[in-house]
Amino acid sequence: MTAPSIAIVGAGPSGCYLAQALRKQWAEARIDIFDRLPVPFGLVRYGVAPDHPGTKAVTRQFERLFERDGIGFHGNLTLGRDFTLDELREAYDVVALATGLAADRRLGIPGDDLPGVYGAGALTRRLNDHPDEQGMRPDLGRRAVIIGQGNVGIDVLRLLSKPEAAFEGSELSPEALAACRATPLARLDIVGRSSAAEAKCDAAMLRELGRLAGLSFHFHATLPAPESVEDQAVSLRLAAFHELAERHTESHTESNGCQIHFHFGWTPEAVLGEARVEAVRFHGGESGRETLELAADSLITAIGFAQHDPDLPGAPDAPRPDDQGRLAPGLYCTGWLRRGPRGTIPENRQDARAVAATIAADLVADRAERPLGRPGAAALPAAAIARATDFAGWKRIQAVEAAEAPAGRLCRRIPDLARLLEIAQATPVGGP
Amino acid sequence: MTIHVIYGTETGNAEMVADDLVEALEGDATVTARDLADFDPAEVAERDFVILVSSTYGEGELPNSAQPFFARLEAQAPDLSGLTFATFGLGDSFYETFNHGSRTLADKLRELGAIELGERGVHDASSGELPGEVAVEWLKGLLGAHGARIMAGEATAEAAS
Repeated sequence: MTAPSIAIVGAGPSGCYLAQALRKQWAEARIDIFDRLPVPFGLVRYGVAPDHPGTKAVTRQFERLFERDGIGFHGNLTLGRDFTLDELREAYDVVALATGLAADRRLGIPGDDLPGVYGAGALTRRLNDHPDEQGMRPDLGRRAVIIGQGNVGIDVLRLLSKPEAAFEGSELSPEALAACRATPLARLDIVGRSSAAEAKCDAAMLRELGRLAGLSFHFHATLPAPESVEDQAVSLRLAAFHELAERHTESHTESNGCQIHFHFGWTPEAVLGEARVEAVRFHGGESGRETLELAADSLITAIGFAQHDPDLPGAPDAPRPDDQGRLAPGLYCTGWLRRGPRGTIPENRQDARAVAATIAADLVADRAERPLGRPGAAALPAAAIARATDFAGWKRIQAVEAAEAPAGRLCRRIPDLARLLEIAQATPVGGP
Repeated sequence: MTIHVIYGTETGNAEMVADDLVEALEGDATVTARDLADFDPAEVAERDFVILVSSTYGEGELPNSAQPFFARLEAQAPDLSGLTFATFGLGDSFYETFNHGSRTLADKLRELGAIELGERGVHDASSGELPGEVAVEWLKGLLGAHGARIMAGEATAEAAS
């Protein structure tokens, strides 16, 4: 079968995995990935915590797509600004959207827009030096509340309370750390709707907290015994909570670092305050009818993600022809955009492979109605092509970021979009 | 002879390492890389020599693509006494379950009679090293010590001793 021309929008893990699966399907297909930034890898760069470099190891695979497997990278191009979806579909036989879910889901309760309320996604981007969040100067005060006990909530908890010396060997920039931790937090309350057994975080994330010096842990609930549950993941999570609780009784006397308080089974009701956050009120508790009010200088929401651009097609809650990743003939979606903000990097790999199989099956079935042969990027508006950055541009950025690494860090991310573009668009020495 | 690189993967990193090993061996032998998800234990029993590449996931579990294979190995319990293998594991020393996945698989193969050749190779995601490079270095060492026998298809119990 003739190979199709394929455009993927979004160079995050889902888009890269989709390109990888499609390349295995068609060695000869023209496959291009578009991203609004001049840097690829989406959440692997800007969502994975900067002190978890091992999780970022997948970028080695993705780099290979562009360096060896002939996948094109077109950075600095935004769907809806530089070209329309219709233009893209005219230019390529297949278009797949892998734009993810970038907005923090809001609490939807009174006061959730008060100054001092921050989304975990935005805060993580700030800590990862994302160009969009350079204006963000979180004022967390002395007491912060985190709502949500998934791995994202635990990431934020750790990044805000971990002793500075422990960031040695990470990608966290001193500037980002200073911006987010202007004053040391004396107390962090992390509150979840679920019970301790049903909390959404992984045991390994909790054990990591237990290895940090100077923190003390307090549990405002009776923790069930790990042996009392059959499910291994639940049992391990409970064991990890118990370890944290026991550590507190051993070491709280000498600890002068951040106090961390876990609360389970509470539903947020209102964010209270006049000009900014002063407290957060919850209901629930063990009886289900209790009320909890926590004093807070700031509130961080870590309750999931939503579509950042309501005009983009393919939102997880929008009507679709089916759940196989099809949006319209020749138009597909994958990753978080397809199935919502759940699942880790490997789950998105599975998802991308399944969508690649759907695309391959459709091209066989629809051959008569949708002849192949659209030319690809050459058919996009000339102005868009002119401003695009390429993979060589990203490699130049990467080299500068590695060369500018401060002591004890793997690199220094360039947070300024203008500088990223300047490096990406520089004419290489010996080039045309 | 044909060398089979079989891999269990979750994020695709072990697959990439398997591809790199195939590339390093090409020319000297017929080499293929296959996902354990598509591999039947009965096929393993027919081989003389396989290179096993596996990551670790979650709480030290086998990666997704190796799980059905492992379950079938346990259920079928084939006699693997004719098989020699070498193991390369991927993990992250950040977790205390570092490289449990490759160990679980290797232990099972040995339990069924297979002979493990050489030192187990290991890549640590927190090291910053490229997994493919570490794996190819490991392979060179393995071939240096046992290569003649592996290539001659005589990698038997004697070769391992």
